[in-house]
Amino acid sequence: MKVVGLISGGKDSFTNLILCSTYGHETVALANLLPAEDCTEELDSFMYQTVGHNVVTAQAQCMGLPLYRRRILGASKEQGLEYHGTKGDEVEDLYRLLFAVKNAHPEIQAVSTGAIASDFQRLRVERVCARLGLISLCYLWRQNQRALLRTMIHSEVEAVLVKVAALGLEPRRHLGKTLGEMEGTLHKLNRDYQSHICGEGGEFETLVLDCPLFSEGRIVLDDTEVVMHDNSGIAPVGLLRVKSFHVEPKPGQAGVRFLVTANMPGQAAGIAVSMQKAAAC
Amino acid sequence: MVKFTIEQLREIMDRKNNIRNMSVIAHVDHGKSTLTDSLVAAAGIIAVEAAGDMRLTDTRADEQERCITIKSTGISLYYDMKPEDLAEYDEPKGYERNGNEYLINLIDSPGHVDFSSEVTAALRITDGALVVVDCVEGVCVQTETVLRQALSERIKPVMTVNKLDRCFLELMLDGEEAYQTYSRVIESANVIMATYADDAVGDVQVYPEKGTVSFSAGLHGWAFTLTVFAKMYASKFGIDKKKMMERLWGNNFFDKTTNKWTKKTTGAKTCKRGFVQFVYDPIKMIIDLAMNNEKDKLWAMLGKLNVDFATKDKELVAKPLMKRVMQCWLPAQVALLEMIIFHLPSPAMAQKYRVDNLYEGPIDDEFAEGIRTCNSEGPLMLYVSKMIPAQDKGRFYAFGRVFSGKVRTGQKVRILGPNYVPGAKKDLYIKNIQRTVLCMGRRQEAVEDVPSGNTVALVGLDQYIQKNATLTDEKNDMAHPIKAMKFSVSPVVRVAVECKVASDLPKLVEGLKRLSKSDPMVVCSIEETGEHIVAGAGELHLEICLKDLEEDYMGGAPLKVSEPVVSFRETVTVQSDHTVMSKSPNKHNRLYLIGNPLEDGLSEAIDEGDVGPRDDPKARGRLLAEKWGWDKDLSKKIWAFGPDTLGPNLFVDMCKGVQYLNEIKDSCVAAFQWATKEGPLCEENMRGVRIEVHDVVLHADAIHRGGGQIIPTCRRAIYAAFLTASPALMEPVYLVEIQAPEQALGGIYGSLSQKRGQVIEEMQRPGTPMYNIKAHLPVLESFGFTNFLRAATSGQAFPQCVFDHWELMPSDPRTPDSQTNKLVMETRKRKGSKMEIPPVNEYEDKL
Repeated sequence: MKVVGLISGGKDSFTNLILCSTYGHETVALANLLPAEDCTEELDSFMYQTVGHNVVTAQAQCMGLPLYRRRILGASKEQGLEYHGTKGDEVEDLYRLLFAVKNAHPEIQAVSTGAIASDFQRLRVERVCARLGLISLCYLWRQNQRALLRTMIHSEVEAVLVKVAALGLEPRRHLGKTLGEMEGTLHKLNRDYQSHICGEGGEFETLVLDCPLFSEGRIVLDDTEVVMHDNSGIAPVGLLRVKSFHVEPKPGQAGVRFLVTANMPGQAAGIAVSMQKAAAC
Repeated sequence: MVKFTIEQLREIMDRKNNIRNMSVIAHVDHGKSTLTDSLVAAAGIIAVEAAGDMRLTDTRADEQERCITIKSTGISLYYDMKPEDLAEYDEPKGYERNGNEYLINLIDSPGHVDFSSEVTAALRITDGALVVVDCVEGVCVQTETVLRQALSERIKPVMTVNKLDRCFLELMLDGEEAYQTYSRVIESANVIMATYADDAVGDVQVYPEKGTVSFSAGLHGWAFTLTVFAKMYASKFGIDKKKMMERLWGNNFFDKTTNKWTKKTTGAKTCKRGFVQFVYDPIKMIIDLAMNNEKDKLWAMLGKLNVDFATKDKELVAKPLMKRVMQCWLPAQVALLEMIIFHLPSPAMAQKYRVDNLYEGPIDDEFAEGIRTCNSEGPLMLYVSKMIPAQDKGRFYAFGRVFSGKVRTGQKVRILGPNYVPGAKKDLYIKNIQRTVLCMGRRQEAVEDVPSGNTVALVGLDQYIQKNATLTDEKNDMAHPIKAMKFSVSPVVRVAVECKVASDLPKLVEGLKRLSKSDPMVVCSIEETGEHIVAGAGELHLEICLKDLEEDYMGGAPLKVSEPVVSFRETVTVQSDHTVMSKSPNKHNRLYLIGNPLEDGLSEAIDEGDVGPRDDPKARGRLLAEKWGWDKDLSKKIWAFGPDTLGPNLFVDMCKGVQYLNEIKDSCVAAFQWATKEGPLCEENMRGVRIEVHDVVLHADAIHRGGGQIIPTCRRAIYAAFLTASPALMEPVYLVEIQAPEQALGGIYGSLSQKRGQVIEEMQRPGTPMYNIKAHLPVLESFGFTNFLRAATSGQAFPQCVFDHWELMPSDPRTPDSQTNKLVMETRKRKGSKMEIPPVNEYEDKL
């Protein structure tokens, strides 16, 4: 099947894409939702990860796939477990985005998403897919999170923590660490506070810098800073803001085929293009 | 010469009604250990001549040096009673003796208030207590404390009025004065017993005329009960012995010239109280004769009294002679044994009424039944009440009492720790007992097995038992543990320790583990700064603990000890000025809380266990409504007590119709336990705080409201609710008792007021020039108070401090440079926290 990959920039969406290709599906496009304003880092959305959104374009380029983006204009209006379609809800933005992607690539039959355990998110994605006649491919669903994290580390998904929001995770200590470095800590927090090893309850968010699907290069973070949202010392919430980064060729590749350096205000021109595509719907 | 063998001892253990488990309790320096020697001597373990000087149960070098008992020591004693001695024994029905041999498992416990926890551990495994009271000093603060403890454990007391020799030799009291003194002492003890008595045990007051009070001079090794004299005179007067006993106490007067008994004194010179005429005066006469070396008259007297006196002792003069004469005439062990055997309950008798006080599980299951009937064939129920250091350093015996069944060498047992919950695996071990041994003071003797009703020491379990535990059969996973002990003191004084040589750190860590095992009360912990903290009940207790730590548990590695620091409690004084709200880290869950102070007296009731998490909610609700005016609905929904699930803070659910609330309850309770353990002011325990949950808004999907999200949110919300309710600090306050002559009073008042102390009672001891002063003294000011007071009164006053209550400190800790603010900052500095009290907005969120 031809698949559009719904990506947040985090580990789950890319792991699911790897599994899609393992099972013989072909990813033809990527889709992503970003905040209404570039300077917003975190929306605390019920649905979407937005931290590190400025790196998503580069991720698409590393994969060599077209990226469709749309700004999140709605808000979490329906907060019940099920979703019935509400005007102005953030889920409607997802519908519009996928609608646009489907128009541009009529051959697409399925959507790849990285939900693991959140019924809230799964039900919404499935609802949107049903409305568009698409199939939701979600290989991670209800998998053992401990084994899943192991798989991710083994299959060389290199992802770093860009947001922490849970008891036991400290921004200044844990932000920027890779999954491999965090595995022990995450197991311990699971033991102590039953928090989810893969961060499915919103404990942390990640940003993928490299994975087997990145055929064109890998992302290197040059300059980052920790932004504290809540500094109470009990369960501090903090983000890792990526101030600049570049893409470098992977070993065995000829050279840099393109170069993206992103700063917050002047984001790469690529976004503008995909924005136009998205706006077309 | 030891008068018995281990085989004899073991054999008697099966005869339930020939056993007495007892502890000796008293105020410091009232002569427990000395008196105990007489009993030990009678069993032949030490020479009778040495009794009173040896203090066999003070096994440690520092105990011998300081002449105080520090650790309680167990000793099993065997007596082969003569039939004529037991002739008078009015045996309780159903508990008749089997043979004339008796086994007495005796525990000598410390008298200094700092070591009260040792007494608690001793009381748990005994059924009776010998209360020793100094006839001159009377009932003191520690006498009262331990008596209260004993009665709450349903321990039956008998009493001895000790140090009688002081009346004769030092104070030269005449008969009537002495009688008044003794009767006052007994009366004041009876007041305490009546106050704290438990109906299940029956009448626990003591009466000389019933033989439950004896009079003794431990140092000289003599003692008597009125029975001894009653026996002597009954034949002479030709009246019933019982009647004679009654006449020897109370308002019964005898006139020698008329040979008549009256209820009132007739005023004639020859008319004297029965006690004086027939008991006090004869003793006084003998003592005077011996002290003045009037030997001829003395031998004549002794002859009349049928006292055998060895020829070799006839050479003695003055005091040694007096001591020997008295020992021969009124041997202490006879009177004491009579009292112990006749009036203290056997295990079989005691466990019948103690069982519902001991067992946590249902009172009609097979384990409760085993305890109730003290059945050695029943399922094993054994309570380990303390860990005793063994000869080889670093190992411990687990010392306890078999309440049901039999414990054998090599047996596999289930060890239920204090945090064990039936059905769960937490705090549970299954291990083999390497050896079962009996404690014989300084020695231990191995035995094959020990049946119910006896005390025992177990080898090989020290790695699995922290301080105390319940042991059951390997297969009985239905058994509930035996209730944890309640201590009357709390570890309020703390010091930080570090090693002088850095490489000794592993020794320190290991040493602290052992120390915390060896003492029921001491608490060893590690602060966030990495400091090792040792907390004890008082200065003396800490001193002993640190000495043990340095010399025994760390092999002499030198230690550096900080100045003592005091624990505080954090509390609130009014209701929160608004409902506070905190969001979860993922912002999708919100909690709305209000803080409130607990009503007056409720914290204390929780401390005492009158109100607790395991009460029946209905009964608890009724109590709360009646006594503290709680709303009925409110008391139904108490989620938790904290910290440590028992503390004096309450977490109450006041939500109406909230979805998923039950799913987050556990996370919230965990947060509450954490928050009440480390308050926001200076990370000390909270006290007297009620946190009410008024509303919660939760994410619809369970995965987004797990512990990782809810625990921190709830903890922050509790802090916010706390900080908006006018937080304040509480300090621990000692009750000090000081005895001193009148001329020292000025110095006492002066030093107390300098140390923020408040006198609450001043009383002259009737018949003496001594004054008894009770005062409240903040623990904070108590360090070095003993020396300070001595200096101010030229050594005439000696204070005894015992923790009394927590007192609210008036100043606001948030006002810079107020007294409490300084204390908070000091504590924060020591703990390595930020040097400011966090503002409310750090914990509170806006919508």
